Amino acid sequence: MSDLRERIRAFVIENFLFGNDDGLSDESSFLEEGIIDSTGILELVSFLEEEFGITVEDEELIPENLDSINNVVNYLARKLAG
Amino acid sequence: MAGDLIGSLRICSHCILPETFPGIKFDDQGICNYCRKEQKALQKSVEKKAQYRRRLDDLINDIKGKAPLYDAVMAYSGGKDSSYTLKLIKEQYRLKLLAITFDNHFVSPMAWENIRTVTNTLEVDHISFRPPWPVAKKIFSLTAQRDIFPRPTLLRASAVCTSCMGMVKGVVLRTALEMKIPLVAFGWSPGQAPIHSAIMKTNPKLIRQNQMAFGNALPEDIRKELKPYFIPEVYYQEYADSFPYNIHPLAFFDYDEEEIMSEMRELGWRPPEDTDTNSTNCLLNAFANQCHIDRHGFHPYVWEIANMVRQGVVDRDEGIAKIYSPQDPDMVKYAKEKLGL
Repeated sequence: MSDLRERIRAFVIENFLFGNDDGLSDESSFLEEGIIDSTGILELVSFLEEEFGITVEDEELIPENLDSINNVVNYLARKLAG
Repeated sequence: MAGDLIGSLRICSHCILPETFPGIKFDDQGICNYCRKEQKALQKSVEKKAQYRRRLDDLINDIKGKAPLYDAVMAYSGGKDSSYTLKLIKEQYRLKLLAITFDNHFVSPMAWENIRTVTNTLEVDHISFRPPWPVAKKIFSLTAQRDIFPRPTLLRASAVCTSCMGMVKGVVLRTALEMKIPLVAFGWSPGQAPIHSAIMKTNPKLIRQNQMAFGNALPEDIRKELKPYFIPEVYYQEYADSFPYNIHPLAFFDYDEEEIMSEMRELGWRPPEDTDTNSTNCLLNAFANQCHIDRHGFHPYVWEIANMVRQGVVDRDEGIAKIYSPQDPDMVKYAKEKLGL
């Protein structure tokens, strides 16, 4: 889990915060806090699919799965276990 | 020092991103980290585009002829890319289409002429939606002077364009829901939005959160005035099962600007002479660009054009000319005065 968390965190920091973590917490809402916009969410989806070999289904494109580091880690853990 | 120079500004020697672009780093060949990152994706792009074309074929087979009024609604600015997208989906898939133009009070007269010509020639129903001028003036004046949206958004578009697009997306989605239209089409260029967002089922929760983020960026008085352009709260439940697919086909169809221009001319579309080098419909764009450049030190279209240069759909010299030529002072003055700034 900690490896997943670090890889996702690194992706968000590199791609959306330009290397500066700006106090990004694991609970920060990407959309509400303006860390990632709607296009960025889909870039995150593409990263998850390619990096972890999963398929994100249409109905899984919801904030509960994708809107914070914690949400992404939990979602990913469920997908990888399934 | 690695990289090319435009005056004293260093730009990537492969694409055209400048040293002022957030997060940019150049290697010893002067190539930026964004180009390096894209290399892998570009190698797979032919395969990926074919995959998305198949997905669109399947999706259209599923939805065509089943909706009560229209198969698809097109967010139609009258510019080159949205006109070409309209032609593409009409001719390739024979869909029953509705085109909507969001009249932001800055649509150029030539763009209106093109809208009339193209929708008549393609036999597409067309409506336009115009907020009252005081509302448009307030939001555009605000965003011309201040960056109110999240930083990632401002890498891809000016604050003025982002505010306008927020309203466009809201109005078009609302129309799709109310008319039970299953497909919403946009004419994003292949550099504007990534291919993995080119076919996407919208869903109420994500749209709601996006709209909240957009609304929360606005001062309270403007948020209240813009409420009619958002999705009403009750719609998220009422239409929960009929949220449409968004598509932007230019991300995965062949994009050859000369060929597009030639096909558009045959249709009667004329390249406007009354807009700036990065728009074929909007008279506010040059001023919006200038405000963004003044505040951030980079052109709001540079990300899009750099992507297109990497993809080989825009020639690098042409991209440099589009991005690093000064904004037309008369166009900047026109919009600035109209907004009372």
